[in-house]
Amino acid sequence: MNVLKLALLCMLLGALPARAAETVNAYSIWPENWARPLFEEFEKATGIKVNFVRFSSGEALARVIAEKNNPRVDVLFGGPVETHSAGIKEGIFESYRPPSFDKLAPRFRHPEGQWVAIADDPLVFMSNNKFLKDNNLKAPASWNDLLHPAYRNMLQMADARTSGTAVTRIFSVLEVNGRDENKAFDYLKKLRPNVQLYTKSGGGGTLPVGLGQAGAGIFFIVDALDTKAKGYDVSISFPQEGIGTAAEAIALLKGAKNPVQGRKLIDWASSPAMQGLFAKHKINFVPAHPDVAVEASLAEVLRGAKIFPIDAEYAGANRKRVVERWIGEVLNAKP
Amino acid sequence: MLWALLALFVLYPLGAMFARIFRDDTGFGIAGALATLADANQVRAFWNSLLLGTLVGVLGTVAGFVFAFSAARTKLPRWMATAIDAAVLLPLVSPPFTAAIAMIFSFGPRGLITYELLGIKGFTVYGLGSTLFSEALTYFPIAYLTLRPILAAIDSNIEGMALSLGASRWRVFRTVTLPLCIPGIANAFLLLFAASLADFATPLILAGNSFPVLPTQAYLQITGLFDLRGGAVLSFALLVPALAVFALQRYWVSRRSYVTVTGKGAGQAPFDSAAPSVRALLLAACAALTLAIVYLYALLLYASVVVALGANHALTAQHYKVIFTEGLKAIRDTLIIAGCAMPLGGLYGILLGYLVAKRNFPGRGAMELVSMVNYALPGTIVGIAYLIAFNDPPVELTGTALIIVACYVFRYGPTGIRATVALLQQIDRSLEEASQGLGASSSTTFRRVTLPLILPAFFAGLGVVFIRSMTAISATIFLVSIGWTLITVKILDNMTELSLGPAAAFSVLVVAIVFAVMAAISWMLSLLRAPGAAPVPSLLGG
Repeated sequence: MNVLKLALLCMLLGALPARAAETVNAYSIWPENWARPLFEEFEKATGIKVNFVRFSSGEALARVIAEKNNPRVDVLFGGPVETHSAGIKEGIFESYRPPSFDKLAPRFRHPEGQWVAIADDPLVFMSNNKFLKDNNLKAPASWNDLLHPAYRNMLQMADARTSGTAVTRIFSVLEVNGRDENKAFDYLKKLRPNVQLYTKSGGGGTLPVGLGQAGAGIFFIVDALDTKAKGYDVSISFPQEGIGTAAEAIALLKGAKNPVQGRKLIDWASSPAMQGLFAKHKINFVPAHPDVAVEASLAEVLRGAKIFPIDAEYAGANRKRVVERWIGEVLNAKP
Repeated sequence: MLWALLALFVLYPLGAMFARIFRDDTGFGIAGALATLADANQVRAFWNSLLLGTLVGVLGTVAGFVFAFSAARTKLPRWMATAIDAAVLLPLVSPPFTAAIAMIFSFGPRGLITYELLGIKGFTVYGLGSTLFSEALTYFPIAYLTLRPILAAIDSNIEGMALSLGASRWRVFRTVTLPLCIPGIANAFLLLFAASLADFATPLILAGNSFPVLPTQAYLQITGLFDLRGGAVLSFALLVPALAVFALQRYWVSRRSYVTVTGKGAGQAPFDSAAPSVRALLLAACAALTLAIVYLYALLLYASVVVALGANHALTAQHYKVIFTEGLKAIRDTLIIAGCAMPLGGLYGILLGYLVAKRNFPGRGAMELVSMVNYALPGTIVGIAYLIAFNDPPVELTGTALIIVACYVFRYGPTGIRATVALLQQIDRSLEEASQGLGASSSTTFRRVTLPLILPAFFAGLGVVFIRSMTAISATIFLVSIGWTLITVKILDNMTELSLGPAAAFSVLVVAIVFAVMAAISWMLSLLRAPGAAPVPSLLGG
């Protein structure tokens, strides 16, 4: 029974534990093509190697919660703050205030240090240039531009049930309507027939817009600029009424097996040491640390754009209710 | 022994998850969970899932039967049989998301076919139609793999006799061939229905917002709303219809006898059961479906050799360079894991299938039922249950390859079980009794008589476990670790990074590996075959 022998051998090989050195383990929510070069820079600077796996925010959080009695990693790296907020309720994080803590704006840090922000990520409108040309349109410059009949069934954006991008978008609409919920929902309902698909993830619609399957959408700037950098012919624009932005955070896990190295990674990520490298590795996040200048071409895109942070207290208090209302009145509305 | 394994890898994880999610600070409560179930949208999703599962089951079984019948009963030229076998494998090998992307690229609002070719404006690709098409296309090979050994094992002399007694070919098919296939058809339907119930990736991309289904809702509940408990409850709601269909097919199949393999069979005279016109029709159907499959994969191949599909169509080998450098570890890990899961899964399939079909022991029904659970549950739940159960002592497996191997064996082994059960229902007990009557021990009988007869089911199980090990993601995304990663996870990463090229290149590589392995299995099979024994239908046309 060679088959059995082989199988047993495989099992033995698989059961061997990983070797230990001066390392830190992380779940990264940022895609590998950004996380890998940054972690290599960290290793160069400190000699600590980062072992990591990449997951979407929901999957990463589900894993961390499931593993909380015996954590497999030390740090949850990246991901919109709302992921970390959901984690606080599960008691999975260890408070830690890195040296940069006092320099950060209040919206970039949890008061007790359950998480700190490492970047900021505004929303943008992204449209397919061929679609715009075919319909004699300019890139949308107002929320109302998206109501134009030419966009009927041609918009893609994220689903608020699953995506922080979508929640930020809906709260943006609330803000530009002076937090008048009924007015905001009137707009969202009018927008509904133009939406071809609400996607599971925040960036889910970028490829369809790039390919021209959809005409336009609302995305985080990193995803939009990435689409452009991949060679797709798209325009990025901002509504004159303004649009929201969301912070990206890092957190130390309770019971981490390498807490010292984990804290060093947080020190590094929340400081100019890492955020100053965004430009070098073509990562289009806006730095959260006030001492890091925004890279020139990114600053050019952002120039003149009206961007406001989503008020954490207001959003936190109303999020569940607003999302439920959105599901009932917008998502499931009969076309 | 099998019970111990089932308890450890099926019941224990589910129990551990239940213990974790329903016992919190407020004590043991299911009120919140029930509220999730009563939600009108979830109820709608539940019925949608049943509708989709039934349609996929029917359509996929029909397609699988047409292919199996053409391959086994119409005396195809050898190259054509091989071509059919190869084309049938393709959809099974479809790694997550890439095939759906090919669908959207072709049939989307500005799709290659719908817009560029046919000029339809505002065509909506998202909904029941495309989800059904995509799932039926993905899963019909399972029906084919289940049905083909059955058809091949029907003694063609029986059909020949019916024909010589004056029945028309149609009548022979209707009253002899088809009824004899019922265990296979029922099993194929069950497998397809359950697979559709558990599939979240296809509806996630193609179902859009107007056709919610339960596995996707459960996935969204967990990863989007961070509500593990609600997601688990929704997943368990899916077990009810899956187990109902299971009970139904058992009841239906068990009422009759399907024995055709007796000790008395002489050499099989090849029987041509289709009239020339019917044969042409069958071939046309196979060809049309094969063409559709080939088209989707040609697109994938194209995407892997251009800079960026839809934006820059200059040829490049860059994507392959990327996957063989940065992706090398994932490729190696996947091969080791799939290589381990394959023999174990095949063995598990025939052992359990043999036990539940041929032996009488207390708890037989329960064992058969339990073996189906991991197959019918959405992968998200199975993955999280494994994670919770095996993260802490006493059985600490998180981070090892073993946890992924075990997940594959117990999640995809049931295909082998069902195939074995269906095949064994054709075999007359007297064959084994004769062997034992002649003085052979029961283990010798199993090895020398039963095993050769169920070898095709073993290889069907082997094939499916291997293919799924190469392509599955929903459960294993929760089981990969810093030490062990998988190609499919890389594909998903590439999709989120908008790197369609490397994702397509990985997919092409997976297809190539699967074909190489299947060819190797076929070759081994032909070596194993004892001289003079009946040819064993393999996965690649012998």
